[in-house]
Amino acid sequence: MLLPKIITKVHDKFPSATLDTTQFAGEDIIHIQGSYNLDVLKLFRDNGFNFLADITAIDNLTLGGFERFAVVYHLLSHETAERVTIKAYVPEDQPELPSAESLWKTADWQEREIYDLFGISFKGHPNLIRIMNPDDFQGHPLRKDYPRLGRKERDDFPVVKRGINKEAAQ
Amino acid sequence: MVQGADQPMDTERMVLNFGPQHPSTHGTLRIIMELEGETVIKGTPEIGYLHSGFEKLGEYLDYNQYITITDRMNYLSPLCNNVAYALTAEKLMGLEVSKRTEYIRVLMCELSRIADHILNVGMLAVDLGALTAFLYGFRLREDIYDLFEIATGTRLTTSYTLVGGLMRDIPDKFDEAVIKVLDNVDVVARDIETLLNKNRIWQDRTKDIGIISKEDAISYGLSGPMARASGIDWDIRVQEPYSRYEEFDFDVAIALNGDVFDRYLVRMEEMRQSVKICRQALDKMPAGDVMVDPDLGFSLPPKDEVYNSIEGLIYHFEITMRNRGMTPPIGEAYVATESPNGELGFYIVSDGGRVPYRVRTRPPSLMNYSIFPKLIEGHMLSDAPAIIGSTNVIAGELDR
Amino acid sequence: MQPDDIKSNILTTTLESAVNWGRKHSLWPMPFGTACCGIEFMAVLAARTDIARFGAEAIRFSPRQSDLLIVAGRISIKMMPVLIRIYEQMPEPKWVIAMGACASTGGVFDTYSVIQGVDKFIPVDVYVPGCPPRPEGVVESLIKLQKLVETEKFSDYSTTRGK
Ligand code: SF4
Repeated sequence: MLLPKIITKVHDKFPSATLDTTQFAGEDIIHIQGSYNLDVLKLFRDNGFNFLADITAIDNLTLGGFERFAVVYHLLSHETAERVTIKAYVPEDQPELPSAESLWKTADWQEREIYDLFGISFKGHPNLIRIMNPDDFQGHPLRKDYPRLGRKERDDFPVVKRGINKEAAQ
Repeated sequence: MVQGADQPMDTERMVLNFGPQHPSTHGTLRIIMELEGETVIKGTPEIGYLHSGFEKLGEYLDYNQYITITDRMNYLSPLCNNVAYALTAEKLMGLEVSKRTEYIRVLMCELSRIADHILNVGMLAVDLGALTAFLYGFRLREDIYDLFEIATGTRLTTSYTLVGGLMRDIPDKFDEAVIKVLDNVDVVARDIETLLNKNRIWQDRTKDIGIISKEDAISYGLSGPMARASGIDWDIRVQEPYSRYEEFDFDVAIALNGDVFDRYLVRMEEMRQSVKICRQALDKMPAGDVMVDPDLGFSLPPKDEVYNSIEGLIYHFEITMRNRGMTPPIGEAYVATESPNGELGFYIVSDGGRVPYRVRTRPPSLMNYSIFPKLIEGHMLSDAPAIIGSTNVIAGELDR
Repeated sequence: MQPDDIKSNILTTTLESAVNWGRKHSLWPMPFGTACCGIEFMAVLAARTDIARFGAEAIRFSPRQSDLLIVAGRISIKMMPVLIRIYEQMPEPKWVIAMGACASTGGVFDTYSVIQGVDKFIPVDVYVPGCPPRPEGVVESLIKLQKLVETEKFSDYSTTRGK
């Protein structure tokens, strides 16, 4: 069991980083301050949690939490087959936290996805542009205040008529 | 001598747009390649052409409704998605499903794995010009489709699991039909291997192409056959068994070179192992129900009861109505499963309501594809289809 | 030559129907397969439901060489401009099959990024229901389309093809 030891280490090294540690259905969840995410992730990586399985985000608008957004890291240790969830909270007015791309390359695309869908930006990311939606898309669809049906993006295309399009040929 | 023939030709860097509508991009991938002659200097993939808002939709559909959406994610092996999602929801709700359910799920997952790998190998072969392997493979895939149709009622979008069990039990004599197909798998696998393994062109076009080192595989978050072809001994079915995989006896296929050829070999071997698991599942198939106890309030009553008794009807409404239905406790769960492509995980956050607060899929395709720019660098343009084919990117899962 | 011989050796028809007959049996599809329906379309091509029996096996991935666009799968807002462009690149006469619920109506994906039916923006001739349609369904749609091709008139292309 790697986890208990590392959690104590996190407490010792970065006493102000951890907000809470909880458990649900046998999973350990560590809640930390967004700005400390690199330090904590690095500590985990160097202590056996070598695989970043997934990064995602949650908009806590109606759920409640320490801040409006939480960026969630799922780590896995190939040695001991343990998993841990780290939630880094970021405030609404300044949704920004350091990028984990320097630790794991897989963070590149996933952080772009979070940037696209949630509007959280990552400091130090090499190429932070939209990945899923078109470049000229407005808004961040997975935020809770974005309507499911969108804002008419899907109806906004030219209609092509049958037959030879004379205007296009000119 | 022609003037200047001894000097290298002046080549200009050319930017080539590959896709999104190109046969070897499997539909919706787009790559912007910078070429020098025929050598790719830089390949920048552009994804998102099939982004359909799966995760947004998950916040509006209840736990059982979303199962239909998971089918459409990895459409080469929809049953694996169904199972992964159901497992996550069950973990969230603290449900224990019956042993028979778990065995049937294992059987179905392994059949899907065969169907997935065979199509992937076939497509890779088509992209490299060997149409026969595809036709052989697809015939087998049709047979597996038939099995799914017998059990679930449809070929592709199966929606076979429910939270807490299965939509229905497998029919009588299903095992006979399965065994017939399983026997055939070995034959088809052998046919394909005879066609390809020692084929000079196949070897030239796959060996030492797109090599992934062990460190890169971990850094880029690769999983499944892609990671195993690079020598990482990690199979979730073995290391973190779910759905009673620990009761089955099978080997994990591993290769060491990490090139396209090795990924192909790993997939072929995994198919054989899946056949082994299927046979064991059929042999040891326990008796019992395929749905949790109805008194727990998670399962729909049998249709007979709904149509013929007032209690059944009321109960049906209780579960499906807007303001009723199953409500998990406040919390979150992440479950990782070994899908044919790698680690397929679902992450569900619940606020205690009847619809999830957030549903996230960990798509193996996204991670597996993200290493592509690194792989294509320095290769010939014609190697791009081989590399894409061997990563087995499924756009539905990649873009969600 | 006896008058009777002439009768049994000459076939009279209109140029129009001769051309249509030719076209009908040699449709060159351009599959625009994006999602699950694309996989089912592969099944249509493969051995069991061999589409070559209907003369439509010459799959061309270049719009300029094909006259039948098969939209198989959901079209996202990022993909729609590409689809429109491909449709415009196809030479006349051209036909469109919308395969599956997503291409026809958006299907189960009533979300911000999925076009609710490609017929909102490009003309569609035959719709195939199903999610995904069975390969037999696609074959049926092809037969329907062949009937449609039979009735085409040259005059329709001269300016605009009537609906
Ligand atoms: S109609 Fe169904 S099967 Fe076809 S693309 Fe849409 S979701 Fe997939």
